[in-house]
Amino acid sequence: MSKSIYDVAIIGGGHNGLTTACYLAKAGLKVVVVEKQSYVGGAAVSREIHPGWTYSNCSYVCSLLRPEIFRDLELSKYGLQIIPYEGSASMLDDGRYYAHYNDHDLTYRSIAQFSKKDAEAYDRFGKDVMRQCKIIKPLLKMTPPDPTSFAPKDIMGLFDFAKFFAAKDELGGLGEKEIYDTIRFWTMSVRDYLEEYFESDIVKAHLAGSAIIGTALGPYSPGSAYVLLHHYMGEVDGTVGAWGYSRGGMGSITKAMAASLEASGGEIKAGSPVNEILIKNNKSYGMVLENGDEIYANKIVSNLDVKRTFLKVVEKKELPEDFYNAVKKFKIRGSSGKLNIALDDLPIWKSIPEGDPAGTGDLHITQSIEEMEGAYDDWKDGRWSSLPYVDMCIPSINDPTMAPQGKHYMSVFVQYVPYNLADGGWTEEKRLEFGKHVMSRIGNYSTNFNDIINHAEIRTPKELEQEVGLTEGNIFQGELTMDQLMFNRPIPGYAQYKTPIKNLYMCGSSTHPGGGVMGAPGANAAREILRDLRKQINTHYI
Amino acid sequence: MNKNLSYKKPLLETPFHERTSEACYNNDWYRWAGYKIAKEYSSTELEYTSMRNTAGVIDITPMHKYDIKGIEACEFVNKLVTRDISKIQPNQIMYIIWCNEDGNVIDDGTVFCLKEDHLRIMCAERNLNWFTDTATGFNVEIKDITETIAALAFQGPLSCKILNLLNVNDIENLEPFQFNNYQINNSNVLISRTGFSGDLGYEIWCDPADALNIWDSLFKFNRDYKVLPTGMNALDMVRIEAGFIQPNADFMSAEQALRPNRMRNPYELGLSWLVDLEKNYFTGKAALKKIKKKPLNKKLVGLDIEGDKPAVGSILYDRQKKEIGIVTAAMWSPTLKSNIAIGYVNKEFMKIGSTVFAEIYHPEELEYKKIWANCKVVKKQFFNPQRRYNVPADI
Amino acid sequence: MKIFDIIIIGAGPNGLAAASYLSKLGKKVLVVEKNEEVGGLAQYADSSSSLSKKVIDQLGLKISTKKKNTFVTSLNDNLNHTVLEIDENNAVKFKECEASLEDQNNFLKLVKKYNLFSKTLSSFMFNSPPRVKSGNKSDLWQLISMGWKVRKLGKKNMRELLRIIGLNIADDLEDNLINDNLMGILCNEAILGSNLGPRSPGSILTLLYSNAINGSIFRNNNLDSKQIIDSLEQSCLDRGVEFLKSSEVKKLFINNESVTGIEMNNQNTIESSTIISTLDPKTTYLNLIGADKLDTDFTRRVSNFRSKGNVAKIKLEFKNMIKIKNLDEKYIGSKFIYAPNIKYIEHAFNNNKYNKYSTKPCLEFYIDNKNISANLYYVPYLKSGSHDKKEIESNIQLILNNFIDNNQLIKFEIDTPNEIEKKYNTSGGHWHHGDMEIDQLLMIRPFYGSAQYETPINGLYLCGAGTHPGGGITGINAINASKQLLKK
Repeated sequence: MSKSIYDVAIIGGGHNGLTTACYLAKAGLKVVVVEKQSYVGGAAVSREIHPGWTYSNCSYVCSLLRPEIFRDLELSKYGLQIIPYEGSASMLDDGRYYAHYNDHDLTYRSIAQFSKKDAEAYDRFGKDVMRQCKIIKPLLKMTPPDPTSFAPKDIMGLFDFAKFFAAKDELGGLGEKEIYDTIRFWTMSVRDYLEEYFESDIVKAHLAGSAIIGTALGPYSPGSAYVLLHHYMGEVDGTVGAWGYSRGGMGSITKAMAASLEASGGEIKAGSPVNEILIKNNKSYGMVLENGDEIYANKIVSNLDVKRTFLKVVEKKELPEDFYNAVKKFKIRGSSGKLNIALDDLPIWKSIPEGDPAGTGDLHITQSIEEMEGAYDDWKDGRWSSLPYVDMCIPSINDPTMAPQGKHYMSVFVQYVPYNLADGGWTEEKRLEFGKHVMSRIGNYSTNFNDIINHAEIRTPKELEQEVGLTEGNIFQGELTMDQLMFNRPIPGYAQYKTPIKNLYMCGSSTHPGGGVMGAPGANAAREILRDLRKQINTHYI
Repeated sequence: MNKNLSYKKPLLETPFHERTSEACYNNDWYRWAGYKIAKEYSSTELEYTSMRNTAGVIDITPMHKYDIKGIEACEFVNKLVTRDISKIQPNQIMYIIWCNEDGNVIDDGTVFCLKEDHLRIMCAERNLNWFTDTATGFNVEIKDITETIAALAFQGPLSCKILNLLNVNDIENLEPFQFNNYQINNSNVLISRTGFSGDLGYEIWCDPADALNIWDSLFKFNRDYKVLPTGMNALDMVRIEAGFIQPNADFMSAEQALRPNRMRNPYELGLSWLVDLEKNYFTGKAALKKIKKKPLNKKLVGLDIEGDKPAVGSILYDRQKKEIGIVTAAMWSPTLKSNIAIGYVNKEFMKIGSTVFAEIYHPEELEYKKIWANCKVVKKQFFNPQRRYNVPADI
Repeated sequence: MKIFDIIIIGAGPNGLAAASYLSKLGKKVLVVEKNEEVGGLAQYADSSSSLSKKVIDQLGLKISTKKKNTFVTSLNDNLNHTVLEIDENNAVKFKECEASLEDQNNFLKLVKKYNLFSKTLSSFMFNSPPRVKSGNKSDLWQLISMGWKVRKLGKKNMRELLRIIGLNIADDLEDNLINDNLMGILCNEAILGSNLGPRSPGSILTLLYSNAINGSIFRNNNLDSKQIIDSLEQSCLDRGVEFLKSSEVKKLFINNESVTGIEMNNQNTIESSTIISTLDPKTTYLNLIGADKLDTDFTRRVSNFRSKGNVAKIKLEFKNMIKIKNLDEKYIGSKFIYAPNIKYIEHAFNNNKYNKYSTKPCLEFYIDNKNISANLYYVPYLKSGSHDKKEIESNIQLILNNFIDNNQLIKFEIDTPNEIEKKYNTSGGHWHHGDMEIDQLLMIRPFYGSAQYETPINGLYLCGAGTHPGGGITGINAINASKQLLKK
């Protein structure tokens, strides 16, 4: 049993925990990150589950990572490289496919095959969504002000928020019409939103995918249009909305962060699950690891989701009752599954010709929004979707490090899969059956897929919970619905990365601005901690 | 599947491509609505000179063409545009602009009257959505016929002469903003006396199958009257001299602008003559009525700039070095031997004759030199020769 | 020819209220109604008026209200029905209930919470909604005062309000209750007449909003809609309002962006420079005015306004007096709900999403001796085609057979939203003329450019349920619109 003392101890070595740690270490604090697994990364990991192949076995594509963080933490120096991809496509049952390309004119013509009007409307849609991205971008970096508070900080924050909308039109502020558009965009269902632009089913279905990935909402649910933003506001080198692969898998991001942390003098204790946070007189002062080791620190930061933090690691008696009840009510629902497949060859698609750049990015299997909503209906009833929405990509086409030469790695994201099955819960058989179900759906669109599968890792929300620690296997550490955004995230009144316990902070995706490999919650939390410590740091983000 | 769609060939080729790709030995292409159009064939200066001296041939096939048919075709267009076109006659063309509900300009173009119930709008941007949404409640059919018509602009002082030599019957009597059906070397064509050059010139509209025949015919008399294929760079020069504005260059189309403050109304663009607030209902009328009552904040004007260094992308200042505007297009005009530009100035400087200053960054052997140049506010129309209007046209 | 100061199109509750209000102020008003009877869609409402005292006073209506306790019965498949008693002050008490006492208490607490928030919202209802960023001081002041009212709730309540406003009703119920039947009652109140299911985010807001005017989820229905309509009509007649019934307006005359009169279906025309349309925004703008006289962007917004109804009105007649199994007869005269649990309702909603009627629908109904008058959901409006009414009938019979003692159905009538559309000229046959979701409320109802009862056409005003504060027999739309009109 050892005892050690730090300025700050961070529980959980996911990308947000590491981001917080890096900034705090840069400010000269003595920082330790405690991770239960033998490797860091949380849900941004690259793992060699099957010899020769590297799987990005949770998150699989990258674009939301804030460029300022990339820069501040010098991630490039520690090996991180983002590879933008060249397109995306949705495959149709009738043998056609709908493709998006980097080339604007090509995309126009691709959409025009289905509807000329839609091809044109896509520009208008893109512009309107881009406007929403521009609105939300400064909000990502903001600590949400508490609208119920009279503290000068909160009033100033609200004022800043209002000012942003109220700026004069000539100065680039939003007009009355644009403000209403914003309210509409944040509250509408993605189906209703897309119907205002498009007539063709497949155009709508292709675009709606981004609105349901990871959520327990269907495309008909009000509020789902906003989730689009969580997939559009990313950027690769200034191209807003672009997506890319992280070279070497998503683990490269967290590996680079860990290296950056160690270079700043921070410490990482992997393979150290935390048993308990030590609290006395409503102040946290340390933690006990599973092996009995004790770590003492001035500030404790939890990268775990809010439920795991306060229902598992902190004792109930330490928490105000209201807070405890609110944590219990926090909605965090597993809705996604993941298959990582080692392929002996490149799949041949029935519709997409080899060499088409659209085939190198996201490949969706969906026919219509209606089909996606039907998939959601299954989930609501505790079944995996009979016609799941499938989002596949084959990073090994662009990234030579992911699979042996001539062979490929395919990441398959599946929406929807429940955390609890209505007919008696998950078993090993059911997990395999689910995997088979998804693979047979993919097989319908390919001539060789079934013959080239070398190995498949099948992950339901259960596995995600067990391995990464995400409660119910929710990839965003909490639903991105209106009741859990901004100053409501994660708990109303505790949206500023602080908790009812003094010196205990939160920095995971449960906090504003939410999920995605973005780093913003981690960096925002670091800023709040530094403010409380009255420490200054000169970086691009903070 | 659309046979035109191939990821290997992202850009379309016009029916003239066989000729233009041969002529464009620079291989310097411009993207226009998904088509490859030459930016510069050989030398922009020569192409420009050809247009001002003999004639230039410009491939304008990507120009969007929308057929509007139906008994309410005229009423529909009249609701769409700010100008009163209700009296348009067959064979007549009118220059038009259309605005959104806030009175901001979406695009400009020309409307051709083929018959009372058949109009055709030619414009630079895609407008199918806006047109069909505007057509709600009208008995009209709107069709994008861009791909079914090939088009060449034939602009310059000798354009009429050469068409005449090609036995295009009575072409000299075609009035500006009129069109008619003609034949060139046995191919049926529609010729309009319109164009971007602000000079005598025509636009020739034909079946894509006849495209190469028409192209070759225009160069038939090159031994005596040398005309050149002309690229977009030269076209941009002549349109600036003529004071013509271009959407998404001089202003953002209201349908495409991301930032609300990048949109412009017709008064700011100096196009008030195209707005008829007395005519029956049109989109933007209510807003334009309000706008007209208020003083303008900024306006697009011509600038006569001292020196010979083009003020491309310059910011405009007043004497106190306060920013008061920006330049949207600038060039050295070989014809006028002047340094000209089009740009926005704030209200204090809108009057013709006002003085503003441009900060010009001019590249000189790898290094930018900063020039502080005196500019005089002038009318946008820098070049406007009489021959542009003559009927019969100069042969 | 008579000259009228104001013509009102449609004699629904809002049309009558506007006529009454304006004629009280000395205006000469003509009301034009398509049907023989006045009342419009209110004829479909069985009870539970939401006419507030404020409106009754402003209009000077003479309505005798008899105060007596009423009941709400929620049918339970196991025949352990839940019965709530609502007293004259709208206080709720359990009469019958299988749920535990703790659950019952939690239910009452929940109702109290919703009532509190409803009351907070009610103060937004009695004014023309403020415009954001109009540059107008009064708008800004109104916005600030709205914010202040929410803030006055106190930290804890304000936080709860801001949280649940975007939440779905099912989550909040499951967080607080255990008994299925109890949850069903509140779900029914939240989603009836909306295009939402219990699990659709925003369904709590719909609940709070639609009950805001009375500040209470459960109301002692001391007035029935017939009484209200009669007294509204009487007050109009007393004040010299003229009626033109069985007369459909075909279009509006517009000259120079101003209204000049109306043309009837029988070619008659009547001139007036002020016209109020109580029809829904889509019908008013696209049919009466015509898109050719509207800005293209505006037409886009009109077309995007969601107004697809999904409630059918049914009338059933049985051979004998109706008795409900395992229920005391004294409860028969008041409201019944069949919305047994969240899952059931959500499944009914699933059909609606795909433009199909619910095979296992929900009902809210009233029994009158041998007759039942019911609201049936979900029966979505169909753009083309029609529902199989026979099938719907047998589906309902299957449900009612579980609860009604040996009786024979001898008559079945149904008005689907398609019929409602036709009968009342209501685009989509929507009760509230348009979905009441956040993006179609307050200063965005019905949409930008038309949200303060005004229209792009001078002299033309809207005051139907498509305007703020929405549907229900409130008369507030009419009074707000009249005030706006009189400002000019």
